[in-house]
Amino acid sequence: MFLLRRRALPPAPLPWRRRARSDGTAPRWDVVVIGGGHAGTEAAAAAARSGVRTLLVTHKVDTIGQMSCNPSFGGIGKGHLMREVDALDGLCARICDQSGVHYKVLNRCKGPAVWGLRAQIDRKLYKENMQKEILNTPLLTVHEASVEDLLLMEPEPDRPGKCQVSGVILGDGSRVHAGSVILTTGTFLRGVVFIGLKTHPAGRLGDQPSIGLAQTLEKLGFAVGRLKTGTPPRLAKDSIDFSVLERHMADNPPMPFSFLSEAVWIKPEDQLSCYRTLTNAKVEQIIHDSLHLNNHVRETTRGPRYCPSLESKVLRFPNRIHQLWLEPEGLDSNVIYPQGMSMTLPPELQEQVIACIHGLEKAKMVQPGQINGTTGYEEAAAQGVIAGINAGLRVGGKPPFIISRTEGYIGVLIDDLTTLGTNEPYRMFTSRVEFRMSLRPDNADSRLTLRGFEEAGCVSQQRYAQASQMKAAIEEAIAVLKSLQFTATKWSRLVPEAPISTNRSSLASALDILQYPEVTMELLARAIPEPLRKFAECRELAERLKIEAVYEWHVASQQQEIEEVRRDEALQLPEDLDYFAIDASLSQEVREKLDSNRPQTIGAVSRIPGITPAAIVNLLRFVKTNRQRTEHIEHSRTGRPLPEGNMLGKSKFQNSSLSCAS
Amino acid sequence: MWPGTWRKLLAALNPVSGAALRAVKWLHCPAGKRDTIFALSSGHGKCGVAVVRTSGPASGAALRSLTGQQELPRPRAVALRRIHDPSSAETLDRGLVIWFPGPHSFTGEDCSELHVHGGPAVVGGVLQALGRLPGLRPADPGEFTKRAFQNGKLGLTEVEGLGDLIHAETEAQRRQALRQMEGELGQLYQRWSEELTKALAHVEAFIDFSEDDNLEEGVLAQVDAAVRTLEEEVSGHLQDGRRGERLRGGVHVVIAGPTNAGKSSLLNLLCQRPAAIVSPIAGTTRDVVESALNIGGYPVVLSDTAGLRETQDVVEREGVSRARERLQRADVVLAVLAAVDVDPEPRRFADALRAVLPPGPPAQRAPCILVLNKADLLEEGRGGGPAGSLWGGGTAPHLPALLQDRRGRGQPPEPAGDTAGADVRRPSGRLPEPHAGTASPPPHQLPWLAGPVPRLQVPGSGAGSRGAAAGPQAPGEDHGPSQRRGDPGYRLQGLLCWEV
Repeated sequence: MFLLRRRALPPAPLPWRRRARSDGTAPRWDVVVIGGGHAGTEAAAAAARSGVRTLLVTHKVDTIGQMSCNPSFGGIGKGHLMREVDALDGLCARICDQSGVHYKVLNRCKGPAVWGLRAQIDRKLYKENMQKEILNTPLLTVHEASVEDLLLMEPEPDRPGKCQVSGVILGDGSRVHAGSVILTTGTFLRGVVFIGLKTHPAGRLGDQPSIGLAQTLEKLGFAVGRLKTGTPPRLAKDSIDFSVLERHMADNPPMPFSFLSEAVWIKPEDQLSCYRTLTNAKVEQIIHDSLHLNNHVRETTRGPRYCPSLESKVLRFPNRIHQLWLEPEGLDSNVIYPQGMSMTLPPELQEQVIACIHGLEKAKMVQPGQINGTTGYEEAAAQGVIAGINAGLRVGGKPPFIISRTEGYIGVLIDDLTTLGTNEPYRMFTSRVEFRMSLRPDNADSRLTLRGFEEAGCVSQQRYAQASQMKAAIEEAIAVLKSLQFTATKWSRLVPEAPISTNRSSLASALDILQYPEVTMELLARAIPEPLRKFAECRELAERLKIEAVYEWHVASQQQEIEEVRRDEALQLPEDLDYFAIDASLSQEVREKLDSNRPQTIGAVSRIPGITPAAIVNLLRFVKTNRQRTEHIEHSRTGRPLPEGNMLGKSKFQNSSLSCAS
Repeated sequence: MWPGTWRKLLAALNPVSGAALRAVKWLHCPAGKRDTIFALSSGHGKCGVAVVRTSGPASGAALRSLTGQQELPRPRAVALRRIHDPSSAETLDRGLVIWFPGPHSFTGEDCSELHVHGGPAVVGGVLQALGRLPGLRPADPGEFTKRAFQNGKLGLTEVEGLGDLIHAETEAQRRQALRQMEGELGQLYQRWSEELTKALAHVEAFIDFSEDDNLEEGVLAQVDAAVRTLEEEVSGHLQDGRRGERLRGGVHVVIAGPTNAGKSSLLNLLCQRPAAIVSPIAGTTRDVVESALNIGGYPVVLSDTAGLRETQDVVEREGVSRARERLQRADVVLAVLAAVDVDPEPRRFADALRAVLPPGPPAQRAPCILVLNKADLLEEGRGGGPAGSLWGGGTAPHLPALLQDRRGRGQPPEPAGDTAGADVRRPSGRLPEPHAGTASPPPHQLPWLAGPVPRLQVPGSGAGSRGAAAGPQAPGEDHGPSQRRGDPGYRLQGLLCWEV
């Protein structure tokens, strides 16, 4: 998914039309989003939230909100992304709070910075709720059509070969003009489905891919690639013997994804369970015996590393037992999704594999596993919300909204994709994030909601008020906690539950004491009711204070490094820099790397493998000229110590992000 | 617990930490303030003058500590200063210092420049001294330029020229790093680095793949064990007598002893040149006199120090305190005593020797070599005299034999041989052959005398080949701890000496 934008915007007001028309004058929209998947819905909703007229074009309105892969949302790293999407008032977290059937926080035994909010989602409910949301979003219109091509303007004389996109051409030949066009075509961009040795073009199993669009993008010089992901065969629930399998219960109480939700929709006790089973030697044998029948393994190129097929797991890690999770697809669904069993074997062999797994001996395969390619729902949603926000901002002539690596997982995701590119589906991990201790799921709102409201206008007043209140309350409480200083002896008397060493001579603050695993805000408030009681009364505040206390020291020690990264990221590189033409001592190799990666900041340059310090210094001079050119815009931005914004209107989404999506 | 272990390890491994370790390195950074960076800004290798530059808020404090003066020099004016290592007060060099308060400096921050003599020892000493100051760290390649840029201090043309310069700089650093990484030590560090990275990868996998991906059981316990083993290895390596540092900076040998024992003579003898003034007046040597030697291929920095005594003379008192500081940091101590002045009664002899040695139990002390000088002045035939009892009541000194016997193994040390060079004021050439098996005091009386007998070798005396430097071994004598650590053995012609 990526964003194509025009360079200059006509100042005249755009004609207002709620319906796309194919007659006479072509309709005009501020933003057109192509694709109604997880990125497209977030992009369209975000653009509309930021106040511009938005059109969402999709093959079928009915497939909006379809979860075409696993029936779950979130996980480690992915849950962080959802929290951040939610902090920008995005949709997926709220919809999940209304549609889940089994909520579970992964990594609960580890620190809250790496908790992975996750839920099994009822596919049907999710789709219903998402469609309700999308079809009722003000300023957002949904149009059912295929998109054949992009409307391109003639290249400007000083930018040969660089076309502006001015709209799209629909399947019926009609034209739709737009200030910005966002492509979120995902697997539909010339997608191919592999089942065994059979392949056929398809967006999703049973849906048509977009071929014309892919050709146009290639003509424009974008590299179009194809990535692989896998899905497992689906099983009939009533054909599985759950009684012999290990049952895994959901959390009670469930933790909601959204900062707005006090609780999820389902009663804790009504949640469904997941079950675990294991592979065995027989499974391995079948896979070994049938390698010649397997297209995916035969090609062995660009396998999906992060959702590996059963075949590649067996081949890479022989003689091991692999876990398979049987996940419900919905409250009233008879389909079970065997997570970990992605296969591309011919369907008969898939059935054979299933039949030799404990508990699945009699399981019926409802649909065979397949391979196509995209990233996860959460990664898609994260990119979508940023694309939508920026398309809206661009239409309004405002500086773009960029989340840096120091501010969010979304920043890391986009920086990784735009700087380094990818040749396999990108999966979010906490280990990709340098400032994991600061960028936690619990504080996504204080990191992003305020910025989203002030800079992007994509956040509702209500959410803004709530986040500001929470932020102020946390700051006040931390100040109070720091001010309460007693000797260790006194603390061990006040809070006997904590193993406070009375050897220490210096005073300890209440915040220090809150760091002990045994201590909670409730406990502290019981020991010192005044002034702590009011902070312990609100459960959410109390929990967040506890987390803040645990990470306080780490966050403080990371601060300097964060500042350093921000300084580098403030040094912008021009988008259209011709690395082969610039008169600087750069080696050919460095030029090629810079040209293909097209880094946006000096910070990004330094992350490209093989770039020398000398090259970085040489590039600084372009930053310098650039800075002078754009100084006035910089001055117009206030409120942030370091200019994060890109003064050049540089697209956040470059060639490389396309290859990740197609 | 293991997070602590982790951090210690990483601190120890900082020079080899790669990108994977960066995340944990942050744990060491103080919050808020920006680091002050330093680097050798002139070329590497031996040269006439080397320029060491610092940039950042602690530059002023660093300059104050290194010059030992509260006053900073006048901004942007060259000043001649003595440059000390603040941790030891040792003078590293006399050089030019320049103070550039921000923002009128190259980087826009507070900067300082130290123009020192270009020898590797001086430059290394200055860089190490800076590295020990709080808030200072070595600069990354191109970091000065980057800071200058960030602070708007560089024009376009300047940056262009700097690209090439920094390229050269990083190339030199690369070669230097390569040199450092070659060989056994490099392989060891490489292995540690790989093990740490692997441990980190396992921890990351443990965090990022939880219940749904089956990681092997007990991955954390494995990592914990691996890191503990590494920690032991690293701390063992660090306690291994700073061997690498010695190889770079030289083995620090300090000559110490009471006044007029002949320390400066010994220095001159070993250097084969009149490096220090010698006179019959006690307290001639006031300051530390250093001389760099190459002994059997090992770089040795030999320091002659002021004679240790209580004195009212202010200058001499400072000399004595410097001598004591040197003793503390010595790798090897040559304790020089005048045979005529020492009381051979074991307890008193022990006291006299102990007064010269750095404090602390023998196990933690630098190895010491006892050098008895002026044995030729011992009156022969004074059997009943104090010296006489030490030397066996006759013409032969028994001490060597006694020491050897005390250890209960092997032969007494070989005789020292011929008289050394003529510039030794009082060569102990008249020391007779030690007698083996003569009467010796009970072993328990000199419990602090132990270790193999090293043999000092005078450079240029004709026996200076590498093989001879290791010295012949007495039959049955195993290598003492110091030899096992790779310290060379020495032979001194004309003086008797024992490691104690």
